Amino acid sequence: MKLIKTAIVASVMASMLAGTALAQDKTLNMIVIEGGDTVAMQAVADAYTAANPGITINLQPYPFAQFFQVAELRLRSADTGIDLVYVDAPLLAAYASRGFLSPIEGVDTSTLVTSALDAGKYEGTQFALPINNSAQVLFYNKKLFEAAGITPPEGLTAGETATQADVDTLASTKRWTWEQVGDAAQKLTVSDGGRITTYGFTVEQFGELYQLQPLGESLGTDVIGADGYTAAGYLDSAAWIKGATFWANLYNEWNVSPKSLGYGEAAQLFGNGQLAMMAGGTWNLPGLTASGVDYGVAPFPYFEGGKVLTPTGSWYVGVNAASTNQAEALDFAQFLTTSEEGTKVWFDSLQQLPTYTPLLDTISTDPAFDAFPQNVFRMGVFDSLNTAKARPITAAYGQLQDAFRTAFVDIANGVPVADALASAVQKFEAAAARVAP
Amino acid sequence: MIRSRSPLLLIALLLAPALIGLVVFRLYPIALAVNDSFFNVLRGQAVFVGLDNYVSLLTDSVFWNSLRVTLWFNLLINPIQIALALGLALLYVQNFKGVTLYRVLFLIPIGVSLPTAVLIWRIMLSQDGLVNGIIGIAGVPAQPWLTSASFALYSVIAIATWKGISYWMIFIIGGLQNISPEIYDAARIDGVKPWQRLLFITIPLLKPTLLFVLVADVSINFLLFAPIFMLTQGGPADSTNVLMYEAYKSGFVFGDMGRAMAIIVVVVLILLVIVGLQFRLLNGRKEAA
Repeated sequence: MKLIKTAIVASVMASMLAGTALAQDKTLNMIVIEGGDTVAMQAVADAYTAANPGITINLQPYPFAQFFQVAELRLRSADTGIDLVYVDAPLLAAYASRGFLSPIEGVDTSTLVTSALDAGKYEGTQFALPINNSAQVLFYNKKLFEAAGITPPEGLTAGETATQADVDTLASTKRWTWEQVGDAAQKLTVSDGGRITTYGFTVEQFGELYQLQPLGESLGTDVIGADGYTAAGYLDSAAWIKGATFWANLYNEWNVSPKSLGYGEAAQLFGNGQLAMMAGGTWNLPGLTASGVDYGVAPFPYFEGGKVLTPTGSWYVGVNAASTNQAEALDFAQFLTTSEEGTKVWFDSLQQLPTYTPLLDTISTDPAFDAFPQNVFRMGVFDSLNTAKARPITAAYGQLQDAFRTAFVDIANGVPVADALASAVQKFEAAAARVAP
Repeated sequence: MIRSRSPLLLIALLLAPALIGLVVFRLYPIALAVNDSFFNVLRGQAVFVGLDNYVSLLTDSVFWNSLRVTLWFNLLINPIQIALALGLALLYVQNFKGVTLYRVLFLIPIGVSLPTAVLIWRIMLSQDGLVNGIIGIAGVPAQPWLTSASFALYSVIAIATWKGISYWMIFIIGGLQNISPEIYDAARIDGVKPWQRLLFITIPLLKPTLLFVLVADVSINFLLFAPIFMLTQGGPADSTNVLMYEAYKSGFVFGDMGRAMAIIVVVVLILLVIVGLQFRLLNGRKEAA
């Protein structure tokens, strides 16, 4: 009894002492995306709270489909119930321009990839720190290629090792073109009594700008102008019409891609062996390996005669301007993005390409990354240094993303390419003009 | 003693719950919407812009297309729903073999929640879905029910009608049961034909019920949002982009609350005009008679 009493008194004393040093016990609230991101964030939070016992981190997960609306509403109403915000790279300008995020000051960011850091700035001020980067690759099912009697693209596969130099050579000289993907997809698609049982190819995110931006841009024209508010002459240009025509053919001419895929459905089809090729993120590696499908990974394709460009950019962390725990929130953000421990815990859990340079160096040089599928990250390293093209910076990104998605979903559903792009240009410019300064 | 005084207090007391609800859940949000429609948010600051949000709607082709879709949608769905609900109600009150099964079948849609119903219909209307399977047996090729600009709006109408008519049918049954059977007996003795009974007895006597159903149905269909949000997101090619969805997108996806609220106010005004006209048309005739 006495021992327990002593222990209680001691712990109360200790917590009071700790309290004077650490101000008070604080709870930090953070909104994140449901699923793998939440699991990874929880792992980082656990590592952080183990070293900072005065802090509790409370994650509030939302499904991907609702996350953006919830974040928008809660930030706009200056909700003090959020301290840390999970920010999608292209939305940073929209958030920062409306004063949703606190400027980030006094953090040593010299260990972060410069391009990723820059995408967290708005008008020269840092508003968010990059948590990780992203890389897109071409997954292919070896068995389905064999069954169709076609040679698959050169890539990384199970049982083979590859150094960074090997991967660099592969990515710079053996990259497939979209034309090759289209040809192979038609041979790989199998239908039975009018129903397609094996699809040749799909992108992971149906109609999303993130994955489809290289279609037109690798042919020479940006999706919107440098001012961030003009789309005429860009999204409706000859380059974009050609890029979007390839997209239209996938659905309406060749019938090789499934229409209207929901979140995560492409990876599921691929894992089930019903899809021969998928352009998708490296975040699929753990799930696909677990599914048991025999697959290889090739570099993200480009158009013949065009420039190799690959999607990039990912999630950032920022501090809600309305938060009453500014210092504590920034300290956690710093741990998540610029500490060796925080970035490693995140990478180990989510398997996303890091923006923390010491960890990138480890991926390039550590023999532990020679084997498949870990060596796929070396493809990400090559692309992020050589071919990555960020999404446009504009306070009207939400408007652009919506107009773009609508156009590409419509094109897949049979609306003529030129009509859909013209309508997207008109809609984006009208909506963007309302937020243009 | 109290009873002899004016019952004003009692009336106020009895009406209070409904009135408070009306103010809090109806009038206050409308006032809020009107107020917000005069502001724009620029760089986190609400700026008073007067009627600018309304003026910009005048030259906004997306808004005009959306208004056109909304009016066309309502022009079709409301007569269809009311005619079908009336037909079903007339069948419902008949006595024939298997009437119980029929009654149960037509009450099922009421018991299914809207999101569930919409999800099931989405699966049934998909490329490889049940509906295409059934028409496939008859040799008709698969149709893009929800993914073609020429079908999508009608598919939404069909789903909303399937879900809605049983509900309206119940009100009409109530109205039918209020009609005294003696009138029909007298008509039968006078040799009135069944279609004449429907046209000259049933429908005129159902007028108060039909007025209520018409007003309520039009209001609900003008504000219809969930099936469009879940099935088509206003597409393909804006063919299902009703004003409610356009307002939602403006406010919640683009953060442009000023425009969203201006659209909402326009919807409410249109609705007020239509409901006002319906009251005048249906009540006016009674006064003339």
